Amino acid sequence: MEFKDLDPILHSQLRLAVMSLLISVKEAEFNFLKEKTNATAGNLSVQINKLKDAGYIDVIKQFNNNYPQTICKINEKGIAAFENYVKALQSYMSL
Amino acid sequence: MTEEPIMTEKESMELTTSMINKAKNNFGERGLLYLIWGWVILFCCLVSFAGNYFFNFDKINFIWLVVYLVIIFQGFYIRKKRSSALTRTYTGEINGYVWLVFVVSLILMIFICNVAKQYVLIDPLLLVLYGMPTFLSGIIMKFKPLIIGGIGCWVLAALSPFINEQFSVLLIAAAVIVAWLIPGYLLKQKFEILNEGAK
Repeated sequence: MEFKDLDPILHSQLRLAVMSLLISVKEAEFNFLKEKTNATAGNLSVQINKLKDAGYIDVIKQFNNNYPQTICKINEKGIAAFENYVKALQSYMSL
Repeated sequence: MTEEPIMTEKESMELTTSMINKAKNNFGERGLLYLIWGWVILFCCLVSFAGNYFFNFDKINFIWLVVYLVIIFQGFYIRKKRSSALTRTYTGEINGYVWLVFVVSLILMIFICNVAKQYVLIDPLLLVLYGMPTFLSGIIMKFKPLIIGGIGCWVLAALSPFINEQFSVLLIAAAVIVAWLIPGYLLKQKFEILNEGAK
């Protein structure tokens, strides 16, 4: 049986939680991710930047009613990485 | 920097599943537009029927102009809802296009029937069209009352050729109750239960 390496970018609690939320919606606001993951703003911000640097998500910073808003959206590379990660998990778990 | 806990494969899978479920349960439809449209159209149907049938007063049909006020309110409501929404979902986007197709088809149908002077066809065709977005919204949102409401509209449309023209507005009133008001109150209830549970 062939085992795949788990993507280190995704094999982290908070980053995986963010990716799992983003795979289910078209785009999500920073506060939505913070509320669902129960993470602190600082930690979430660091992990979002890591996902962005890996090219898995797009981050749009804009203003809404004069308030800054951060929108996160999973992209094609992120979807492929997430699918590969889940496949790898399944191959480990079917042992 | 905080040390991240090491996850086992099982924990990773559980986390993924739980987050996907959390995103799925983020139910943002409170049924307000269904209720507003439902009550306004029901009111217009009953008032115009009563005016025409009991008092032979055809100017009562101007009551339908109130629909323009609802359109203006809807424009503001959707704009506000979009700016305050924390997520945008694929289902929400598809649902929006379904209702856009309905509005375009409705305008074209009324225009064609008026040009062709086929006024008697307006109410039956309206029922056929009402059924389409209601049924599809039910499928997209996996919400059975809307699916039943859509089918209800088509049943009423099939009955319409056998009913005297002056009563056809009452079929629209019945359609509004099954397709918008009942699902609207059930959506409101579902929204309140899910949001109460999320607190």
